[in-house]
Amino acid sequence: MKRSLFGRIWPNATAVVLFAGLVFPVYWMFATAFKPTGDIISENPVWFPTHLTFSHFQKAVDADNFWTLVGNSVTVTVCSVLISLVIALFAAFALARLRFKGRRGLIVTFMLAQMAPWEVMIIAIYMIVRDADMLDSLVPLTAFYAVMVLPLTVLTLRGYVAAVPKELEESAMVDGCTRTQAFVKVIFPLLAPGLMATSLFGFITAWNEFPLVLILNKANDKQTLPLWLSQFQTAFGDDWGATMAASSLFALPILILFIFLQRKAVSGLTDGAVKG
Amino acid sequence: MKRKLAAAITIAGMMVSVAACGGNSKDDSKDAGPGSWKGQTLTVWTMDGSAPPQWTKDVQAAFEKQTGAKVNFQIQKWDGIQQKITTALSEDTPPDVLEVGNTQTPAYAATGGLADLADVKKAIGADWTPSVSQSSVYDGKQYAAPWYFANRVVIYNKAIWAKAGITATPKTRDEFFKDLETIGKKTDAEPLYLPGQNWYFFDGLIIGQGGELVKKQGDTYVSNLADPKVAAAMETYKKYASYSKAPKDKDEATPQQAQVFAKGKTGAFIGMGWEAATAIQANKAIEKDLGYFTIPGVGADKPEGVFLGGSNLAVAQNSKHQSLAKEFLKVALSDQYEGELAKLSGIVPNKASLESNVQGNPAAEAAAPAAAGGGTTPLIPEWAAVENTPNPIKSYMTSVLNGKDPAAAAKDVESEINKRLAQKN
Amino acid sequence: MSVQTEGTDTAGEPAVRKARPAGPPSGEDRGSRSSHRAAAPYLLLLPALLATLVLLGWPLVKNGMLSFQNLNPRQLIQHLTEWNGIDNYKEVLTGSDFWHVVERSLVFTVINVALIMVLGTLIGLLLARLGRKMRLLLMIGLVLAWAMPIIAATTVYQWLFAQRFGVVNWVLDKLGWHSMAGYNWFGTQTSTFSVVILLLVWESIPFVAINLYAATTTIPRELYEAAALDGAGAWKSFTSVTFPFLKPFLYSTTFLEVIWIFKAFPQIFAINEGGPDHLTETLPIYAFVQGVGNQHFGVGAAISFLTVLVLLVMTSYYLRMVLKQEEDEL
Repeated sequence: MKRSLFGRIWPNATAVVLFAGLVFPVYWMFATAFKPTGDIISENPVWFPTHLTFSHFQKAVDADNFWTLVGNSVTVTVCSVLISLVIALFAAFALARLRFKGRRGLIVTFMLAQMAPWEVMIIAIYMIVRDADMLDSLVPLTAFYAVMVLPLTVLTLRGYVAAVPKELEESAMVDGCTRTQAFVKVIFPLLAPGLMATSLFGFITAWNEFPLVLILNKANDKQTLPLWLSQFQTAFGDDWGATMAASSLFALPILILFIFLQRKAVSGLTDGAVKG
Repeated sequence: MKRKLAAAITIAGMMVSVAACGGNSKDDSKDAGPGSWKGQTLTVWTMDGSAPPQWTKDVQAAFEKQTGAKVNFQIQKWDGIQQKITTALSEDTPPDVLEVGNTQTPAYAATGGLADLADVKKAIGADWTPSVSQSSVYDGKQYAAPWYFANRVVIYNKAIWAKAGITATPKTRDEFFKDLETIGKKTDAEPLYLPGQNWYFFDGLIIGQGGELVKKQGDTYVSNLADPKVAAAMETYKKYASYSKAPKDKDEATPQQAQVFAKGKTGAFIGMGWEAATAIQANKAIEKDLGYFTIPGVGADKPEGVFLGGSNLAVAQNSKHQSLAKEFLKVALSDQYEGELAKLSGIVPNKASLESNVQGNPAAEAAAPAAAGGGTTPLIPEWAAVENTPNPIKSYMTSVLNGKDPAAAAKDVESEINKRLAQKN
Repeated sequence: MSVQTEGTDTAGEPAVRKARPAGPPSGEDRGSRSSHRAAAPYLLLLPALLATLVLLGWPLVKNGMLSFQNLNPRQLIQHLTEWNGIDNYKEVLTGSDFWHVVERSLVFTVINVALIMVLGTLIGLLLARLGRKMRLLLMIGLVLAWAMPIIAATTVYQWLFAQRFGVVNWVLDKLGWHSMAGYNWFGTQTSTFSVVILLLVWESIPFVAINLYAATTTIPRELYEAAALDGAGAWKSFTSVTFPFLKPFLYSTTFLEVIWIFKAFPQIFAINEGGPDHLTETLPIYAFVQGVGNQHFGVGAAISFLTVLVLLVMTSYYLRMVLKQEEDEL
């Protein structure tokens, strides 16, 4: 089936236009962050920053407790993602591979759990944590973030587990492995890309969370980066240079993580599909 | 099953390591008066930008020397501050001393979360300026101590005014309008930058008119926005706004008016003295052109009414260090450090006798004459809810500026204001 | 996350499973193994269930209890419990605000999800058609948009659409639409929603597009060849091969998007706090403004409870479908 010239050009042209549209906000964030304030509030936008400045980044990093907050954010995010992955993997395996009574209800339970309106439950959560005397601690934050992402993690991982051909597991068992060994030696390696891909959702959720940490952790050294990011848009107006510099710093780890994990996840997946 | 056990141990291990990340030390020692102060730590919340570092350092040194206790200043961000204070006051170990906005103080006093400061008032508050200390009194009791106050001035661009041929700053409102008109005609600058929702400037105009935002109806407060005095203040605002191209439905923070002014194409704006620093930060070249004057009133003898914004210091009712916290107030608000704060920040101090400290600070000097005739928003606990986003008074302002009759516009938002005023506490 | 999100929907078990010959039932199904076998699934599920029960179930119950209380700052600070029956619900349900907000939330969700699904699917199909290099380029664009943390993205959009010095207004002005110079995007309901919708569509499309593309790569070539042998054209092979194959994926993704869009919180709240004049408040924003913003925590709890009910109704069709399919499979 030969395609006309037009038929060959329009997909590429569309792709370029889409690329520009998708990337522009990200580009503009970085570009603004590097521009001197005079170029930012300018009647004619400066499309390419020529006089690069790091002063906005300096201001963003100089904020009180910045590195403590980085540490807190990384700890909370990584811990909560790992916890939810481990817990979810057990559940996903059971839901995908085993047949038992109540399975259907459990799947629907996890689907329902996804609908939880976390933002508007914060006062209830606050009262629970306060009465348990656990305020100003990273433990409840980590735990709640883990559960926020748990339902989707379970459901997604269940799909990945189900996609691993059962024959592989069965042949391993024929070769004398126990079921657990078969899981660890055969299924788990095949699941790695799936785990990585699934973790992305957890990373982005925990990294972003704002309303809960605001009232649970009021001590300045127990907070996380979203609170730091919000301070640049103060009651006194917007300092776009510093705001964009802070946003850039905030977004960078997740952008890198995504590009890294997404490639692995997609390629791993397509490989798996071909082999399957 | 061994592996399962191993997995369980891994999880447990993770939990523990997380727990280790969030070590939680709490100081539960009871406050039993001066003898027990040594070794205690007092937590003080101040807002971002309130206390200059120098002042914090000096007060900390003086306080620690005097009491032997430590003080831990925690600077609070503005975002979500209301939730933070409300929840913090409910805790067993709240911040001991906290900065509370003067207009917010009655609402917090009514919750029972603030301690009675009668003895502090007795010790250091005999000559607090009545207009600034009234916000810290609720139900006849002193629930906070006045800390610092500020009011708006006109910040103008000398170069543009000179270009328009104006040599002296205006002394009356009409002169001011005439000057703005001249600037509009003779230069290509925007005479004034005044967005439609600079609501604290509007409140000042109402105070200047002798108007009230609420009135008592039986047992409850209701909106008084339809009052002719309020409408007259709004007409004045509209006249001011007619010299500006600023958005009618934004407040002075978006975009930050000082940054707009910094471009050098705006004749003047009405703002707080410290906003000049924001302008200078955006454009160093603007510094030499900056000038300040008191917002002129109807006659030359009396400046325009202004909203006296500011903060009080309060002690949490649940504080475990009540006597120490009160001692802190006595140090921080002493003439020495209150005077230092006025000098460093150019704010209106809590005593008239300390006002001389602002000399040499042109912005503060322009602000001072108006402070005596300043006022606040209604000092009732119910008021705080009215200013919650979206502030109905801002909506009122925008619709009048867009051509609606003030009475009709007032009617539109009155039910919302009354609803908020009627909310139980 | 990739194509296997369709695992949320057993109707769409991946092709790899469908393609394989029906294997013998696996060990534990024979039911005659030792008793710990029977307990295994429950043991495996225990941590997840326990965590959900404690950290989600408990707050939900607590929230439900709060919704029957008069809870304002005074009660919160003094640790008072003042039961007030169904007053909060009465107040919410008899006010006109709530119903307006429900209606707005539904329309908002439908518009967004429709845009996201249609555009996302088209872009996904485009990805499948592109050459390697162009596909990589578009993929990078998608991943960047997808990965932008929501708070950062929201801030950037505020800046793009800023009234003064915002680049969007400048471009529109230069394109000849001069009334847009200095236009205030956050001044009216329609324009604020336009920005919010653009933001949500921009950040949601990548998920749909990338996963859909990944799903198309799992469609066996033979199916297309067979269709071609039957004389099917491009459209016919799309409707007879591609679409049926992707249908389960589309169902489950729509379900997820409905939940995500309906619950979208920071995107709307940070852009304009539900303004102007409460006009862009969807249910979660409404609950937050009433409960946390105005500090009427009891009323907020009641609204959040009603919010969940509305979401349940919206997704009930899909949930019923899942229940039925799981039943068939057993």
